[in-house]
Amino acid sequence: MILDIFTVDFLRNALVGGVILAIVLSVLSLFIYMKSWSFINIGISHAAFGGLAIGYLAGISPSLSGSIFAVIVGLIIGYLSRTNKLHEDLSIGILLSLSMALGVVLISFSNNYNSDLFAFLFGNILTITTEDIVLLGIFTLFTLVFFYMFFDKILYCCFDDELAKVSGINSELLYYSLLSTVAIATVLSIKLVGSILSSAMMILPAATASQIFWHYRKILISSLLISILTVVLGIVISFEFNLPSGSTIVIVYSLIFFILAITKRILRLDV
Amino acid sequence: MVDIRSLSVILENKIILEDINLKIDKGEIVAIVGPNGSGKTTLIKTILGFLKPSSGIVHINGKLPRDYIKDGKLGYLPQKSSFDAKFPVRALDVIMFGLVNKKGRKKDKEKVAREYIEYVGMGGFEEYPFGKLSGGQQQRIMIARALISRPDILLLDEPSTGVDVVAQENFYEFLKKINQENKITIVMVSHDVGVVANYVHKVAGLNRRLHFFGRPREFFQTKVLESLYGLDVNLLIHSPECVTCQHFMPDKLVEGVKH
Ligand SMILES: Nc1ncnc2c1ncn2[C@@H]1O[C@H](COP(=O)(O)OP(=O)(O)O)[C@@H](O)[C@H]1O
Ligand SMILES: [Mg+2]
Repeated sequence: MILDIFTVDFLRNALVGGVILAIVLSVLSLFIYMKSWSFINIGISHAAFGGLAIGYLAGISPSLSGSIFAVIVGLIIGYLSRTNKLHEDLSIGILLSLSMALGVVLISFSNNYNSDLFAFLFGNILTITTEDIVLLGIFTLFTLVFFYMFFDKILYCCFDDELAKVSGINSELLYYSLLSTVAIATVLSIKLVGSILSSAMMILPAATASQIFWHYRKILISSLLISILTVVLGIVISFEFNLPSGSTIVIVYSLIFFILAITKRILRLDV
Repeated sequence: MVDIRSLSVILENKIILEDINLKIDKGEIVAIVGPNGSGKTTLIKTILGFLKPSSGIVHINGKLPRDYIKDGKLGYLPQKSSFDAKFPVRALDVIMFGLVNKKGRKKDKEKVAREYIEYVGMGGFEEYPFGKLSGGQQQRIMIARALISRPDILLLDEPSTGVDVVAQENFYEFLKKINQENKITIVMVSHDVGVVANYVHKVAGLNRRLHFFGRPREFFQTKVLESLYGLDVNLLIHSPECVTCQHFMPDKLVEGVKH
């Protein structure tokens, strides 16, 4: 039965796409965890709603308009929180409502109200195309190279932005790059798996791994493993038992999180 | 080394620093003292280039702060009692941050970091979660992080906050040692005027304006203290063990000091 999975095209695409997503999003999840940005992905994804609506109505690629919108919103959030000392979450909240409202107003103007818009918001991992995988692969490659080159510097900036600056690091550039990467990853992953699973894959890996490990290297490696395992397991289970795959993956993630959290309590692990 | 001329800093229409002239020579240890809110942190941040002068200039080795910073030749310890306790790094990782902009393999950097952790007396804590160290221990690690990049100048903003008195004296002793061994210029903000006087070459008495700049002994003259702290010399904060100041201060003032 497991062998069947690889002979079915859409399942193979779901598995390959899911694993690539798992890799790139769990790397990002480490930084989201360290920066306490857990709300940012949810925020950007809702804010992107406005961008997506514009794309659909104007007849341009929603991925493109969504990405551009999300990056702009991400940068505004970053700028606001850096200059006004406004906490990220608060500024996200303001922009989020504004953009959501904008999206809804825009859609209300349209007569041929497009159901694709909702597919975009809720996604379906089983509809990932080869083209999607190529685009995702390119983005992942760029992201991994970015992190490979600047990992220590970004870590230093997350630890203390001012100190990093005094050490001669362009912390502003890295901050905005990280924010943009998160924004693009959010939009791309929403298109593939919907906003709920996208958030889960960006927040839960590091949050889960940090239940058992405290050092970033171990958190990173274990969140990669947890995430890949979860996605594969989720897709296989959903296929075997005919369940919605996105939700199954989220449930598997949450189960692992709770199991580890409880194990930690029982073993009194001090992490 | 540090050359500050006619410096004024205005933040939100408030004059925080006014007409500061200050020259710090290479190899000197200088303490910036003054009451709370007198602009000490503002001065440090202006030297670092984080805040722009409203007028006047700051030069470090003839360069503007933002240019000087790029060389990574400046060490800085912020006024901060503790760091995010959950941040997932070891003590050793934090020291290695100081080498992040330097070329070289990670293995080699780690080796150097192990030497520095010994140097600041924190050997044995290499693998310890940084966030779980005490305030004083974190400070030592942070100093090692600043020193490992071999800075020409070290700026410390209230480095003894949250450190107990005995550790404090050790700490100043330690600063004196690194100053002598490495010829590092040290500028530190301090609350403990009495204690710090034993360890520094010069004292800068700041309260919006620079009221005094010179040797510690002269600093403890009544006139200087009064112009800096007003008549309310009580503002000087001393630890119960602080006896040092009595050597410097006129008898009548010692009475007024909160012990
Ligand atoms: N960013 C800022 N904007 C406006 N006022 C500020 C800012 N930072 C500090 N201040 C004010 O400047 C004064 C000096 O602050 P600070 O330099 O932190 O003093 P100190 O370090 O000597 O206690 C205080 O009155 C403070 O309220
Ligand atoms: Mg201060």
